[in-house]
Amino acid sequence: MTALMAVSTYIPEGRMAIEELAEPLDLTAMQMKVFRRHHKLAEVSRDPDGTLLDLLRGAVANLDALEGREQQVRYVIHARSFPVVVPYPVNPVHELCRERGLDRAVAFSVGEHACASGLVAIDVAGRLLAADPDPDALALVLAGEKAFTAEAQMVPETSFFGEGASACLVRAGGGPDRMLSYSADQHGEFDSFSDEIGRAYQEQYTDLLAGAVLAAVGRAGLEMDQISLILPHNVNRMAWQRACRRLAFPIDQVVLENVAAYGHVFCADHFINYQTAQRRGQLRPGDRYVLAAAGAGRGAVFSAMVFEH
Amino acid sequence: MTEQSVTIVAEVDPALRAQVVETLLDLLPKVLKREVPGVSEDTTLMDALGISSTTGLELILELEDRLEREISVEDLDRAHFETVGSLAGYVAGNLLPED
Repeated sequence: MTALMAVSTYIPEGRMAIEELAEPLDLTAMQMKVFRRHHKLAEVSRDPDGTLLDLLRGAVANLDALEGREQQVRYVIHARSFPVVVPYPVNPVHELCRERGLDRAVAFSVGEHACASGLVAIDVAGRLLAADPDPDALALVLAGEKAFTAEAQMVPETSFFGEGASACLVRAGGGPDRMLSYSADQHGEFDSFSDEIGRAYQEQYTDLLAGAVLAAVGRAGLEMDQISLILPHNVNRMAWQRACRRLAFPIDQVVLENVAAYGHVFCADHFINYQTAQRRGQLRPGDRYVLAAAGAGRGAVFSAMVFEH
Repeated sequence: MTEQSVTIVAEVDPALRAQVVETLLDLLPKVLKREVPGVSEDTTLMDALGISSTTGLELILELEDRLEREISVEDLDRAHFETVGSLAGYVAGNLLPED
């Protein structure tokens, strides 16, 4: 059974008020007010002099459980929101493997699920490990990107990206957080930048996000009232207010405090929220919780994964 | 999945709702940055006027300024943006108490 063995994150110290993004992204004062007041976004992290390698390196440096287990790591997977995250031929994942002595690992990236790629990466890691003859084999799943283009700074009408990273050690033989189910609902029909398709996407967003949560919870053989917490993607508060109404799930059981603090940290949101929940004592043994995300780019994906702590 | 969220508030002060409708009709050209002839309470905001989710929320902020009252958006759903009238109904039923 796929399990998270350890989770770590890294957020660079530099902070930027979202209003500082108004001019470069050509947004009006009123639009910024919507983001702050209604969506509850406030700051994003930026490390203007740092690279993607610095972000990933920071997350892995905080992953104490990796120490001494480097030779067990067979797979290093970078979950990406964007297909291109560094200019060619830079390869921060290979560089990181060299630095950390992960020389027995195959390193690759997982994408095409946009901001839901973190969940598919965990699923892929679990499947590879289940098929690996070595029962002690591990996978290192990384997430986090640089907000280095206009597209990687903002989700139109929805959110601002913040820089940061996460690292998870995944194993197949059970562990502190066992994966009970995974559901990914892909919608190729949203592969368009037309206003009409954009409106259709917005119109269906809440139902599809809530539907993904229900699908994963159902696959785990559970009901929503058996779920103690949702660790969301940090796009904004309003998206989750609406999803919670569809799910009849209390909004205070969705970890949303990092929306204001960090914005949408690409595929690393869930793991940042996981650490917040753990720090606050919101994850008790036996608790079942959901990681959920919507990813939009070329098409859209609505995904959720249920774990037992 | 429940449909509890899209209940349009029915029991609101009709005079207040009418005032909100009037204010909304007055604000639409400003928020949309174009003239919108022939709009009424029944005009659909998204289909007829092409209002986006952000523009819809801008409209709420402009309304707050104009009404000098804060509007709770805790229960605000996409369905409330269906028409000028449905949005006015929501707003009239979700004005926060004055300080």
